[in-house]
Amino acid sequence: MARVHRVALISTFFTTLWMLVFFEVFSVPGLDEGAVAQIWTLIPWWLLVAFGSYSLWSLGWGLFTFRDCPEAYEELLREISQAKDDLRSRGLALD
Amino acid sequence: MNPFESNVSLTMQGQFPTSDTHKYSVILPTYNERKNLPIIVWLLANVFEQQKLAWEVIIVDDASPDGTQEVARQLAALYGEDKIVLKPRAGKLGLGTAYIHGLNFCTGDFVIIMDADFSHHPKFIPQFIRCPAEGAQLGIVTGTRYRSTSKPFLPEATPGGVHGWDLKRKLVSRGANFLADTVLNPGVSDLTGSFRLYRLPVLRHIIAETQSKGYVFQMEMMVRARALGYSVGEVPITFVDRIFGESKLGADEIVSYAKGVWALFVGI
Repeated sequence: MARVHRVALISTFFTTLWMLVFFEVFSVPGLDEGAVAQIWTLIPWWLLVAFGSYSLWSLGWGLFTFRDCPEAYEELLREISQAKDDLRSRGLALD
Repeated sequence: MNPFESNVSLTMQGQFPTSDTHKYSVILPTYNERKNLPIIVWLLANVFEQQKLAWEVIIVDDASPDGTQEVARQLAALYGEDKIVLKPRAGKLGLGTAYIHGLNFCTGDFVIIMDADFSHHPKFIPQFIRCPAEGAQLGIVTGTRYRSTSKPFLPEATPGGVHGWDLKRKLVSRGANFLADTVLNPGVSDLTGSFRLYRLPVLRHIIAETQSKGYVFQMEMMVRARALGYSVGEVPITFVDRIFGESKLGADEIVSYAKGVWALFVGI
């Protein structure tokens, strides 16, 4: 079963559950009709906004903590010239 | 004193004390790397000799017109034909098949794949090696630019990072990894990186099943590894973007990357 099938299966299950309650095929105990109209309709939007905020936060935090490493660059340049000197002294023609 | 560690004994055995009896094969795909190749080989040789490890570099050159192979032959004369193994191919056939080609000639039991353009520094190889040696049965250790600690924890690991990327490049990179992470959940922080250590049979197994090319190739290897049940360690690395030559990233790459993520989502 590919990942797409698993995701489709799970999302179909929850969508069906949501719709059954929304169209009042069966009722959730403690949730009267007014609450269904007011709260239940908002759940998909709430999920969308939550996912959006999570994505933005995740990207922003990732960007903020993405480290620059100028010291690695300096070190590399030093090592390159060291390598060139050493290789030349061992008789390798470099340009 | 242990008589087997005396100088006389060591000379007779022809080997020096090292707890590591593995051999490490580096597969280095090249195309027009005449300038870079001697230096990357020098850096590799330095690391392996400091650590007293058995090693070899397999150079898979795709018929570079700039004389990369000539340089490789000179290096083989310098370091020994057993250390520098040149296995050229007839034309530019791509990265994935370069690894498959190189794998045919590996004599080590661990394989390291990396780029020859200095963006990957061999100084991290000892940490890569220590990860599976720590007891965890890791099949793969991947370098990551995004983490600051290694997994499993190594005290000598230093935070990862990049050099030479502007904010836009960083955003694209983060976005690409976020997309793949959300859609595919591979459990690895750096999917598009290509500095990795594999156990030889693990690499053979995964690469035989991998189909995609280009950017997606490295990602597919990680996703397949997880799907096949191999565990992956991570070591933070510093990534110095191409010092010589351009590194390209355009709209085409982004579109083909997104297509690749979709193909993996549907396929694995």
